[in-house]
Amino acid sequence: MTSSPDAPPAVDLHDVRKIYGTGPDPVAALDGVSLRIDPGEFVAITGTSGSGKSTLMHLVGCLDTPTSGRVSVAGEDVSTAGSDRLARLRNRSIGFVFQAFNLLPRLDVQRNIELPLVYAGVSAAERRRRAAAAAAQVNLTDRLTHRPSQLSGGQCQRVAVARALVNDPALILADEPTGNLDSANGADVLRLLATLHAAGRTIVLVTHDPAVAARAARVVELSDGRVIKDAAT
Amino acid sequence: MNWLSGMLIGLQEIREHKFRSFLTMLGVILGVASLLAMFALTAGIAASWRNTMEQLGGLERIGISDKQVSLEFADLAALSPGRTLADAEALRGIPHLVSHVAPEMQAGATLSASDGATVSARVTGTWPDNFTVSQHAMAAGRFLTDLDLQRGARVVVLGDAKVAELWPDEHGTDAEFLGRTITINGRPFAVVGILALYEREQDRLRREAAARGDKPPARLAMGGGRGGGRRDMFSWKNESVIVPLTTMYHEFRSGQADTPPLAMAKLDYLNFRVRDLTRFDETLAEVEKLLRGTRRGVDDYDFDTREDWFERMETSLRSTQLSGALIAGISLLVGGIGIANIMLASISQRVRELGVRLAVGARRRDVFLQILAESTAIGIIGGLLGLGAGVVLLELLGNLAPLESPPVIEPSAVLISVGFASAVGVLSGLYPAWRASRLDPIAALRYE
Repeated sequence: MTSSPDAPPAVDLHDVRKIYGTGPDPVAALDGVSLRIDPGEFVAITGTSGSGKSTLMHLVGCLDTPTSGRVSVAGEDVSTAGSDRLARLRNRSIGFVFQAFNLLPRLDVQRNIELPLVYAGVSAAERRRRAAAAAAQVNLTDRLTHRPSQLSGGQCQRVAVARALVNDPALILADEPTGNLDSANGADVLRLLATLHAAGRTIVLVTHDPAVAARAARVVELSDGRVIKDAAT
Repeated sequence: MNWLSGMLIGLQEIREHKFRSFLTMLGVILGVASLLAMFALTAGIAASWRNTMEQLGGLERIGISDKQVSLEFADLAALSPGRTLADAEALRGIPHLVSHVAPEMQAGATLSASDGATVSARVTGTWPDNFTVSQHAMAAGRFLTDLDLQRGARVVVLGDAKVAELWPDEHGTDAEFLGRTITINGRPFAVVGILALYEREQDRLRREAAARGDKPPARLAMGGGRGGGRRDMFSWKNESVIVPLTTMYHEFRSGQADTPPLAMAKLDYLNFRVRDLTRFDETLAEVEKLLRGTRRGVDDYDFDTREDWFERMETSLRSTQLSGALIAGISLLVGGIGIANIMLASISQRVRELGVRLAVGARRRDVFLQILAESTAIGIIGGLLGLGAGVVLLELLGNLAPLESPPVIEPSAVLISVGFASAVGVLSGLYPAWRASRLDPIAALRYE
């Protein structure tokens, strides 16, 4: 996926607020954030615990909607979307990579990678074909029939990346993808993300680790629910 | 995601936890087994009752009996000739309502076979219609004919038990007895027909088993393999000695001092057959009208119908069914609660998995469907296992204590039982599925 001049931004946030709790002491997790990520970018979102980066990730990942402001993903306004529409957007436009891998332990690698396609209504034969293609991109072709418990942590995370890729989403959203890995495997996964970026993928990497964030082309730093730094590395 | 793939996920889940799933299904299995057994047992009872009923003439058979004359007619009672052949002739006048009429005269007599024994018996003189009214069946030969009746022929049709009594040492085929001559009160009669052996369903099964040598022929020894000597509701049929009514009248009734003419001769029984059961009440009303004529307005008659009997049978069957269904229902209810309980536990074990499914695009209804399909699969599998258990249960019951009426497994009972189990699966999955579909994806993904 390469960027073209008139393609909509992959992510567009405008004056977004997310307030948790009501009553006398509400907490503003995000307090007026505006952020635009274009197709083909590799952006790291960083900040300390409580800075609001997780909340931002949930909004960008269509897992939640803002209290106020506008959130667009792949050109679609999702600020007021209902749960079915959010589910469809997550399915079509977002590929998640989690810290804890979040593979389904009872499904083999192939079926894990296929999972988003199941909910997209893709036929079984097509699912198999596309899962195999995604597995090839992360060098796991020879592990398709293994279960997650038979794989190393690094391999598990590569399966997760393949699952994120399989539906050809507008962006890949990686939440601390190296957090559960040793440094060698962590570096391996970051290299994989860089390769995907080089191939034209849009990647948003959420991390608290400045060294990991440094691998991205652009770093957005949050603190107390606001963007305090937005710069190319 | 559709129902089928939800089902497949459910089946995989069941396979992963075989023992837990089996325990979950146990309530449903026992419920379906007892439901099926109950249906089969009551269907067996109903079948043997219906069989008995039919052999005795069915609902269509109605008898005209005597009744104490009511007070208002007490003075006139003497005017009525009572139950006579005139009644029977009158009934023949409404063939659109009454299909067959069988008047009967009976007399005690001594039967003797020159090559066999001498026995006493009740001889019945009747019309050929008796064959249908009493639902007879021939083992050999023929029943009475109109020609026999016209000519007052000396022919006799014998019940199976009577043949055994007359020729106790002969065990040949029924046909061998045809054409033999016996004497009734000293007058020779030709045997033209042998009636089939009437017996209850369980007796027939036992006899057949004995004939095959499966079991010792326990109670069948009497009568040399025939139904002779046993008393049951079919005795009157098996011990029949049937001659034409005219023969009966001329040979055994007339010639005495005060014998009335044939048309006014008293009948011991008068049975008829309703042509159309849907016009039962109309038929009775019409017959009553005729009888008012022949009895000169005196209400000294009554109807013997099988309706009461049939109703009593239905009522007792229904109450048996109800109590059986109650037990099975409680068992299914407990089974359903068990499924719901395990599904809730399994959901809280699988919050993370459901979170992942939601994150990659499962809608709430997909999750709902997945959980519902799983509980439905448990219900259906439990139902199928329950069918097997039910069959085994019936087999065990049959072996432990031979049943009065062998159980009958009807397709409808199988469908109803499995249908109930599936319904229990669906119903017990509704709440857990709803709970699962309400999960917040963010919280579910964080769940440890």
